[in-house]
Amino acid sequence: MLSYNFNWSIIWTEPYGQWMLEGIWVTIRLGLICWFIALALGIIIGTFRVTPFRPLRVFGAAYTEIFRDIPLLVQLFFWYFAAPSILPKAIEMWLYRGLPNSEFWIVVVGLSVYTSSRIAEHIRAGMQSISQDQYHAALSTGFTHFQTYRFIIIPYAVRIMMPPLTAECLTVFKNTALAMTVGVLETTFMSQQIEAYTFQGIEATTAASLVYMGITLSVVLIMGFVERRLAVPGLITRTGGR
Amino acid sequence: MDAYDWQVIPNNLQFLMQGLFTTFQLALVAICGGLLLGILVGMARLSSVRVIYYPATAFVNVMRSLPLILVIFWFYFLVPLMAGRPMGDFFSACVAFVVFEAAYFAEIVRAGIQSISTGQEQAAYSTGFNYRDTMRYIIIPQALRKMVPSLLTQAVVVFQDTSLAYVIGLKEFLRSASIVDAREMRSVELYAFVGVVYFLICFTMSKLTKRLEVKRGHA
Amino acid sequence: MIEIKNVSKWYGDFKVLDNISETIERGQVVVICGPSGSGKSTVLKCLNGLEKFQQGDIIVDSVSLKDPATDLIKLRQKMGMVFQRFELYPHLKVIDNITIAPIKVKKMPVKDAVKRAMELLERVGIPEQADKHPGNLSGGQQQRVAIARALAMDPEIMLFDEPTSALDPEMIKEVLDVMIALAKSGMTMAVVTHEMGFAREVADEIIFMDQGRIIERGTDQTFFENPKSERAKDFLNKILF
Repeated sequence: MLSYNFNWSIIWTEPYGQWMLEGIWVTIRLGLICWFIALALGIIIGTFRVTPFRPLRVFGAAYTEIFRDIPLLVQLFFWYFAAPSILPKAIEMWLYRGLPNSEFWIVVVGLSVYTSSRIAEHIRAGMQSISQDQYHAALSTGFTHFQTYRFIIIPYAVRIMMPPLTAECLTVFKNTALAMTVGVLETTFMSQQIEAYTFQGIEATTAASLVYMGITLSVVLIMGFVERRLAVPGLITRTGGR
Repeated sequence: MDAYDWQVIPNNLQFLMQGLFTTFQLALVAICGGLLLGILVGMARLSSVRVIYYPATAFVNVMRSLPLILVIFWFYFLVPLMAGRPMGDFFSACVAFVVFEAAYFAEIVRAGIQSISTGQEQAAYSTGFNYRDTMRYIIIPQALRKMVPSLLTQAVVVFQDTSLAYVIGLKEFLRSASIVDAREMRSVELYAFVGVVYFLICFTMSKLTKRLEVKRGHA
Repeated sequence: MIEIKNVSKWYGDFKVLDNISETIERGQVVVICGPSGSGKSTVLKCLNGLEKFQQGDIIVDSVSLKDPATDLIKLRQKMGMVFQRFELYPHLKVIDNITIAPIKVKKMPVKDAVKRAMELLERVGIPEQADKHPGNLSGGQQQRVAIARALAMDPEIMLFDEPTSALDPEMIKEVLDVMIALAKSGMTMAVVTHEMGFAREVADEIIFMDQGRIIERGTDQTFFENPKSERAKDFLNKILF
């Protein structure tokens, strides 16, 4: 057995404890910003995919397919290393020199776009699962298309989509860890930084693990609360026990 | 904007393909190992024996709440410790992936088995089958058929996940491209190439999966 | 042959069976009817141990179900069950559906099992369907295969849980005909059903249940002509136009 001296106190010893806290804060900010942007984008693209307007549908399908079939890490690398050089030189310079924290914002773009394609897929599935008859029933009582969407379809669809959207929110927070590869000082990066300084890799990685487990738990609790508030009695959106 | 030099790809093709081969190897180990372990864990999740159920459930919940990248680091430190000697990054990556992906395969297995109606179970029991035979001849054959699309989809996910082995320096496809990039400074060409290759492979796989679903009437 | 003694069952706080007592003699056909939620299917599933009960006991041929030493698996080989949704194994051919239990549980040689299965398929009227998969059969045919599957284990008692409730009207008769023939051949049967025509034809005793209790018992004459309880009168009015 290779010798290894455990030293759990490094987690809260300065400056390592401070590093971890900063990393956690970056993770939370990154996750929340990406989540809300992805949600907005995803709803738009998802709706594109179910409109009767063919060019929008094709665009939506292509968007979803491209970002789904390339690993997220590859996408981030492309955004960070490759994309700026495609842009006009002035913007590229601003990105690398002028903008503070440019890695953070580039990851925001990459992660939001990736996540939005996944959310679009859930939106599409949710909206397609609503039967034609629901539309017809609403229209037959005199609703316009817009009113039908607003009062009948979208409220119903949102509730069906809660479970997959919860899962997607968890995934976003987990995916923020990939930002470490391009130098974003988030939780995982910090844990490995601590390892580099103290050689206490197990402790550092455990600390980071606890952070992610805590985030996951919080998201599940919050989304559970939201789901219950929105729940329609008698509508089973989860497969429960017998 | 500098002119693009796409020659960088054919010039380094052998090196890049070596990386892609490593990716395939890692993916294969991860899928097979993860599936086997996942079947065990998935069945454990359905057990009424507490000592089996709780550890399996804890395992799945922990793994699914952690980023894969962190789990890779974990095993990168842990594996040499447990083995008593350095084991190389490919081996550590394999262990990390098998353990991590097993949690996801386990959920697919569990859902598959649970989707077989209890009526089937009762019908088998009512003719005098015991638990083992019921699972073996009635439940699991049906569950496997149902699980195939999800298992295939997860396999594609695993294939993409292997790119994360980058962080421990494993010379898989992405890392190989970045090594070439460090030398040649041709980021756009190289990462576009990586993206296109991944896209072609994954797109083809998911189309095949969909065709399989349609053929079996699952669409 | 079967003695149900003061059986009570709870699902959490909900009492689904309330002090049920009944005796089923060998060769008797007992029909259990009542509104949904009355517990009739639950009683049936308690008989072969698919459901457990908290109070009372059920004795099948001197074997107590409450006794932890009882081998339920062996017991179930003596009892056949037919389900509302047929529950044929979709991945196996009809013939395999029938032979799998005799082969795996009774260790019957394959040739003998197949011979017996074909005899049973003749008996239920559909020998030509042997090589098809359940998905290709009509509901009535599937249910008849289910009856053959249950008979393949040579049971002493047959339990039927609303066997015709999931069938289209045109197919109910073909299944009931098989069940009537079975009854007339002397099989002991406990049948949960709403098919009063069947009850009239072969039932030795009719039990009416509501909310987990046995409200009334009778023979087919006494129950249908002269129901004693209000609840039974009400029920009969509703199901017989």
